[in-house]
Amino acid sequence: MISGLTPLAVTSVTTSVALTVSMGLVLIAVIAWLARLEDVRSYVPTSDIGGGAGHTEYGHEEKPGGITRWLTTVDHKDIGVLYGVYSVITLAWGGLSVLIMRTELLDPPATLIQSTTYNALLTSHGITLLFLFGTPILAAFANYFVPLLIGADDMAFPRINSIAFWLLPPGALLIWAGFFIPGIAPSQTSWTMYTPLSIQQPSPAVDLMLLGLHLTGVSATMGAINFIATIFTERAEEVSWANLDIFSWTVLTQSGLILFSFPLLGSALVMLLLDRNFGTTFFTVEGGSPILWQNLFWFFGHPEVYILVLPPMGLISIILPKFSGRKLFGFKFVVYSTLAIGVLSFGVWAHHMFATGMDPRLRASFMAVTLAIAVPSAVKTFNWITTMWNGRLRLTAPMLFCIGFVSLFIIGGVTGVFLASIPVDLVLHDTYYVVGHFHFILMAILAAVFAGIYYWFPLYTGKWYQPKLAKIHFWLFMIGSNLTFLAMILLGYNGMPRRYATYNVDIGPVALFTDLHQIATVGAYLIGFSGLVFLWNIVQSWLEGPRVEESDPWDLAQDGLLTKEWEWFDPQQEMTLADGGSEARPPQSDDDTEETT
Amino acid sequence: MTRHRQLLLGVVFAAIGVSIVALPAAAAGADSATEALIQSLNLKLLYVAVPITILVEGILIYTVWRFRNNDEPAPTQENRRLEITWTVATAIILLFVGVASYQVLALPAVTATPQVTEEGQTNATEVTVVGQQFLWTFKYPEANVTSRGTLVLPANRTVSLNITSTDVIHAVHIPELGLKQDAVPGQYNRLQTTPTSQGTYQLYCAEFCGTGHSQMTATVKVVSYDEYQQWLEDQQESQQ
Repeated sequence: MISGLTPLAVTSVTTSVALTVSMGLVLIAVIAWLARLEDVRSYVPTSDIGGGAGHTEYGHEEKPGGITRWLTTVDHKDIGVLYGVYSVITLAWGGLSVLIMRTELLDPPATLIQSTTYNALLTSHGITLLFLFGTPILAAFANYFVPLLIGADDMAFPRINSIAFWLLPPGALLIWAGFFIPGIAPSQTSWTMYTPLSIQQPSPAVDLMLLGLHLTGVSATMGAINFIATIFTERAEEVSWANLDIFSWTVLTQSGLILFSFPLLGSALVMLLLDRNFGTTFFTVEGGSPILWQNLFWFFGHPEVYILVLPPMGLISIILPKFSGRKLFGFKFVVYSTLAIGVLSFGVWAHHMFATGMDPRLRASFMAVTLAIAVPSAVKTFNWITTMWNGRLRLTAPMLFCIGFVSLFIIGGVTGVFLASIPVDLVLHDTYYVVGHFHFILMAILAAVFAGIYYWFPLYTGKWYQPKLAKIHFWLFMIGSNLTFLAMILLGYNGMPRRYATYNVDIGPVALFTDLHQIATVGAYLIGFSGLVFLWNIVQSWLEGPRVEESDPWDLAQDGLLTKEWEWFDPQQEMTLADGGSEARPPQSDDDTEETT
Repeated sequence: MTRHRQLLLGVVFAAIGVSIVALPAAAAGADSATEALIQSLNLKLLYVAVPITILVEGILIYTVWRFRNNDEPAPTQENRRLEITWTVATAIILLFVGVASYQVLALPAVTATPQVTEEGQTNATEVTVVGQQFLWTFKYPEANVTSRGTLVLPANRTVSLNITSTDVIHAVHIPELGLKQDAVPGQYNRLQTTPTSQGTYQLYCAEFCGTGHSQMTATVKVVSYDEYQQWLEDQQESQQ
């Protein structure tokens, strides 16, 4: 018979056949369920002609209720909430995985988990938080608020919007597959998936992860096209380019970056899959060279940084003025700097590759562009501080997180300039310094996300969060972030390389490493605990919090800062007030009252 | 209000003063020509960056503290001159970073290009560094010696490391000598330096290379030239 088929190959063939069959059955079940749920054909525009009376039983009802509503919705607000819930789940896994790693790093040798587990967790931590949390949580805000802010009825393509979201859960399952499919090792490539290491790893979990990443990339690209179309074509008549709000500007720029960078990642992922499974040589030494992967990956990867940071900058630019009692200082300059960052972000990718032995002249030009991109970021920071100057600052939870954003962003930005300087980068590259630097930026992004969640909490839940818990959340988050990532900056200065499961080295300063790692771990636990406080606050307040009774819960109208999204909130409130009449404001409804006591 | 402002300014300047005094302590003596260059550049940048960071953070905190109970917000007025001023000021600072970095970057101890080494030192000690999962091999082609896990270098001589890999990407990382270069399969990357003080240093692998990445370390011994010659002879004898 065929001598080439080993028993192992036979079992793997039967497994894949079984997988295919079961996947097919699941799909059929889903189609059957959908068909039962609703007459899908009734959506066809010609159904009126064929349908005799022309009336289906469905079409005229309000939104369906319960789980059906959430599974079939094409409403941008519902999809925004779905993105949000999904992101909170992925954030929880990303946080949990790093807490296991930080616990392991309390002492130099491998005590709690093995190196392989550590490497799997570090891969999952990075990929989960960048692809499954970072982009989706920003899509949550953009989905919910961009149509409201620009006066659109919905997104330009509501169904594409829905597809873009529903690609994400299978993407997450594929990316995490290695952790719950028995018998295959989770992917240990680190989030950069550098070749030849990522070609060499035999586990099918790597292939599944690449497919999952591909799905999330398709999802992000579809979302981006939708935002661009929405902002270009669906604006209300009174919203012109001149008075488009700053958040929509950042989402528009971000969508442009996604449109030009994610398809490239998708192509690179396909090439990597081919290299792994079909013996092509895109990224091998004999073929396209391992450095080609790095060029392609970072051509996506650096714009990705700005994909993640631009909308949070938009959130800060829209929320911070509200609690300063005055308009954003230098609106035009903030918009220009957003566009400048968007353009320049495609010219800096090789600063991740200064140590790869690239041409020195090329290297110097990448240093120049990298330094240049710091200018618009600094300009924004000065604009935010000047907005607060002479204002009436109300230190509510969203405002605190805005200030936290600026504070973390300053440190993250300044530490980044050192990495732009090639000679300094050659010492600090791939050490904990880099980890500390970019986590300052990422924690700033997270702070902006929290600011958005608290600021619009009354709008999307109709309830008030608990200000006390929110303040505990803020302080734990800030103290923890500074503790963890300043310790990492110092670790990097002392030469501690990143992605190390153990650090029981012979000559290096192990005692110093241990102390700094322990400080970082304590900080990480504070951040983790702040996350629990946040989760409790959000869930409990959503279920049991006091109802918002006014259409302008933040008293923005007195300063003329009430923006369009609250106009939509207004009729909702009138409906609830119509039968009950106005009640006294609940005491915890306003942070100002707490401030004075 | 002015009393508070003075107090705050005092705190800010005290912090700047402390950081300027504390910084040189962080930069202990350099152990190689490369480290000396990079360290002095880094120090120059720190002298600018740390005060700026403290100043901006200070202004942020002061703004929050001063205007938190302000009842009369002044309406925002555009100020083009202020915008242009801080844009230009930031650009000038970054230009300084660029120029200072470029001066150091062009030196062969930081960027070793083959041309520079050919024209300059012909008597540089050549070592080929080979990374493979998960160990380092050091070859001395002139003396025909191969060493595993230990790199011995002569002090006060120009040494040139030719770095490559046999499997995946690794990176030579000797923080105390200020050296880092990726070991890429199919490619030779060059590092050039002059170790200036004798001692033992840690070499790490700095590019994630798989399960044993964090165990892929080696020892770097910088010894006097005589000891170095002696070591080479010992190795030649033991390897025959």
